[in-house]
Amino acid sequence: MISIKHLSKTFHNPDGSIVTVLKDVNCDIDKGEVISIIGPSGTGKSTLLRALNMLEPPTSGQILVDGEDITAKGYRLDVLRRRMGMVFQSFNLFEHMTVIENIIYAPIRLLGLSEADARAEAMTLLRKVGMSQKADVYPSSLSGGQKQRVAIARSLAMHPEVILFDEPTSALDPTMVGEVLSVIRQLASEGLTMLIVTHEMRFARDVSTRIFFMYDGIIYEDGSPGQIFEHPVHSVTKSFVNRIQKLVFEISDDEFDLLEMHSEMNRFCIKYNIAEKAAEAIPVADDMIQNHMASFRPLTFRLTYTELTGETALDFMVEGLTESPFAGGNVPIAVSARTKDIIQEPTARGFRIKILL
Amino acid sequence: MDRRTITLQQIAGILVLAICVSCSGNKSKTITLESEADLTGLTISCGAGNYYEHKYSARPDVTVFACATQADALQAVRQGLADVFVGDEIELTEPNRKRLGVKVAMYGEDSFEVAFGIKKGNTVLLEQFNAFLKTIPIQDIINRWTKDGPQVEDPNIGHTVSSEPLHCVVCNNLEPVSYVGEGGKWMGMDPDILTRFANYLGRPINFSFIDLGGAVTAIQTGQADFMAGNIFVTEERKTFMDFTDYYYICHPVFIVADHDSKVHVGLAERLRMNLVREDRWKLITQGLTETIKITLLSILIGTVLGIGVCSALRSRRNWVRSAIGLYCSFIQGTPTLVLLLIMFYVIFAGSGMSASIVAIITFAFSFASSAGSIFDSSISTVPVGQTEAGLSLGFTPFRTFTGIVMPQALRKGLPLYAGECVKLLQSTSIVGYIAIQDLTRASDLIRSRTFDALIPLLIITIIYFVLAWLIRKLLNLLITRK
Repeated sequence: MISIKHLSKTFHNPDGSIVTVLKDVNCDIDKGEVISIIGPSGTGKSTLLRALNMLEPPTSGQILVDGEDITAKGYRLDVLRRRMGMVFQSFNLFEHMTVIENIIYAPIRLLGLSEADARAEAMTLLRKVGMSQKADVYPSSLSGGQKQRVAIARSLAMHPEVILFDEPTSALDPTMVGEVLSVIRQLASEGLTMLIVTHEMRFARDVSTRIFFMYDGIIYEDGSPGQIFEHPVHSVTKSFVNRIQKLVFEISDDEFDLLEMHSEMNRFCIKYNIAEKAAEAIPVADDMIQNHMASFRPLTFRLTYTELTGETALDFMVEGLTESPFAGGNVPIAVSARTKDIIQEPTARGFRIKILL
Repeated sequence: MDRRTITLQQIAGILVLAICVSCSGNKSKTITLESEADLTGLTISCGAGNYYEHKYSARPDVTVFACATQADALQAVRQGLADVFVGDEIELTEPNRKRLGVKVAMYGEDSFEVAFGIKKGNTVLLEQFNAFLKTIPIQDIINRWTKDGPQVEDPNIGHTVSSEPLHCVVCNNLEPVSYVGEGGKWMGMDPDILTRFANYLGRPINFSFIDLGGAVTAIQTGQADFMAGNIFVTEERKTFMDFTDYYYICHPVFIVADHDSKVHVGLAERLRMNLVREDRWKLITQGLTETIKITLLSILIGTVLGIGVCSALRSRRNWVRSAIGLYCSFIQGTPTLVLLLIMFYVIFAGSGMSASIVAIITFAFSFASSAGSIFDSSISTVPVGQTEAGLSLGFTPFRTFTGIVMPQALRKGLPLYAGECVKLLQSTSIVGYIAIQDLTRASDLIRSRTFDALIPLLIITIIYFVLAWLIRKLLNLLITRK
């Protein structure tokens, strides 16, 4: 359906510097595929997506859609874009129109629908994304998640063959990511062809039929979710998909500010969309620092989160210690009762207790 | 700027005006003059640019207060802004002096030949006029306006053999020399003589009121045939214009406030005097028509040009952007009055184009640069994501712009645009400098006949305010209509 050949994109910045974002991208995309494009920031994920509907015309290379080169001069891009919807990071709803006007604007003018038909269909779509009650309000009164759901409905109203999602949840408050992802999940299950640039690893793994890992301006690794997340070929891919987010505290004496630690832990959990874990982690951390390990100073405490597996852990480390701080190596009941698993192990520098939530 | 601040500004303006007028009471210092030596230490008012300004500016012991018109200079004496008015003996009839509350303090010793100025080298017209002057009872005509001399018939204006009008600039707006009388018609000694001459040639004639400096330029550039209004023949003036034979000898007169004559007129009488008598309201309606015509046409043409300026500002080509940027900073950096004078006296001088059209062109160019910048910045406030969303739905760039970007830009830009329209309306008040009788000039004309500053200025202030309000209202209707 779509075939990309030797695509490259170079930006000339106003300050005179030249940045090559895409070096040599090649791939074929078939109907019905749901492809997530992942990778570190600045590796050209969004640029590739925006090149596909020519919002960002490439510097060189070809994009063939059903055999036709869309980068050719004189190609009717407006006609192409009707078949290729796009959902933006910043929603881009038309601020001067109500929700329903946003949705019917293009179908009436481009597909020749009557106003009544367009409205009826728009209501069906709004129901599908759970926004039918907000049909007559202006976008400014909607939350980010609601705006993005309307934007998805607007794009669906043109009956596109492909939808391009450009970081659809990156601008959202973490509490609203779920509602948008579940709408996209539903679309994926209906067999729509989709390309999704995302940072949500678990979502990408669950929803996609195929993953592009982009690195250094090319598709560095291309494969099924199982292949990319479980058995990546390249070490760069492996370290990216398994990356661990950490929050570190050094507790040197009893003057340590526990309240400040609480709020930092809360922020961390919200940032990685595991807000519910904060309520579990904070009492355990307090209990360990104030009671069970009160005599061990300095103490290093880390809160860790592995994005792909969703594993959250509390990690306590005492330098120079060689054996368990607990009597007979038995973890106090107060802690073990509240946690999934506890690993105690000596390391090169000291002794470590890892508590999995 | 919202509507309320405008209202407050306007009300404040009216208040200040009223206070100025009410404070301009008489200083009760009585001035007596025996000779020119007694002028020491006094403030002398006179018409700007005339002989007296030059003469007394050279005297270190007196202060000169030069006013745009003779009428204003006279009023300065009455308002206590100056001690003595110096002008020409002929310029104020006895009844008017009484009405104004001024009196003659002394007569000067100088004497001047009074004639009409005409373009240097226009010998045909000069000889025609001089020949004509010999055929008419000139003293009777003069007496008709200055004294109750033998009555001479009104000049007959019906007789024309050519449609080419004589253009005459008048730089004195004071009875009995030249003034706007009943029904907005030019009257007085000078218009009388020139109308007779036009009739003698079989040509129509028109008069425009302009300051002395403007009149000289108009003669030099050929935009006017005659310069009238008690014009002295001086050696200096002879170097840049020709004069007809003189028809009158004039002496200076010194006028001071007359504190014995208490002139108190009721408001109703003042309104009647400024509006009803001699159909003076017609001057206001004519001026209003001119102001509206210039404002609306300038806005229309300026908006169309402004769209061009806006697209040039958004051009991909660097040189187009810098060229139009240069144009905008030139226009916006030059006072509109200077621009208007350049257009009228330099660029379109001798083109035969009417002053109104020159004014419309000038204001349209000026409006285009500011409207263009407003359009440009309003479009820039619409996020680029709106364009991308329109394009990604399948609209062409043109339809995306007209259907999605422009409606949003309009909402943001319209209040600024309305403000610019009101600003244009206000700046049209300068067109009097190129002899257009707009609303402001109409109030000048009435003021110099009635010597009442408050009523005419108050009336046009209210009219300008209503016009500004209407412009905002109409433009607001445009956005809410959707």
